[in-house]
Amino acid sequence: MNIIPILQLQSNLIASIQTELTDEQALAFQSELLEKNSALNTKGIIIDVSMLDVIDSYMAKVLTDLAKMIKLQGSKAVLSGVQPAVASTLVDMGMKLNSIETFLSLDSAFLYLTKEQSGKTKK
Amino acid sequence: MSFTLSQKEYSSNVKFLLKINQEWHIARARYQVKDLALKHGFGQINLAHLITSLSELSYNLVFHTNNGGTITVSLLFCQDAIGIQLLCIDDGPGITSIKDALTDGFSTNGGLGGGLPGTERLMDEFNIESSSKGTQISCIKWNV
Repeated sequence: MNIIPILQLQSNLIASIQTELTDEQALAFQSELLEKNSALNTKGIIIDVSMLDVIDSYMAKVLTDLAKMIKLQGSKAVLSGVQPAVASTLVDMGMKLNSIETFLSLDSAFLYLTKEQSGKTKK
Repeated sequence: MSFTLSQKEYSSNVKFLLKINQEWHIARARYQVKDLALKHGFGQINLAHLITSLSELSYNLVFHTNNGGTITVSLLFCQDAIGIQLLCIDDGPGITSIKDALTDGFSTNGGLGGGLPGTERLMDEFNIESSSKGTQISCIKWNV
């Protein structure tokens, strides 16, 4: 069962990850997010990680995989709220979150997505 | 970051032993070690490095060993520095090539392959020994 609430705001989905995920929880989250994305025809997805004080290689893999899947669906996933200590740890570890754009806050991520969407012609 | 502290004498005080063979044990381990580190004044960055390393070691125990393993958590005192040592022991099947396991991007199960090399960089001291009978990893994070 998916434990992470997924909310719709205009043509975006917002999901805030509050705790570390187990394998099972990550899979459930992944599939619900992908299903909602296709059912609601959303353009952007913001994954907020401001509550996470640790992102290990497992979590990094979950996030990058998710971004790739969402890209395949024709939408865009961005990350918001990476904590200072998390940023330092990810770089020291050599983790690359290349496939996912990041923003300081939920606010700036949302602004960016809405701006980008208004610039595009509707599919 | 390199530390010569290991050459100096330090006293060590075993705090607890974490048994890890299921995924939910990892979350519990994280809370316990985080608590200990906060109590002894670890800063946010050192704390994140320590907990991330703990996490990587724990995932290895759950996904790469026969029966899981244990992590012994000790407090170290050396002059004014306080450190936390993680001693991670399992009973097999061992790491075929430590050199490969410590290479970025090498993974035997489709992961990102950054767990062990990442841990080596995040911690101040890192030691690994492995045979078919098991693997022993000792690592220390100093709070200085």
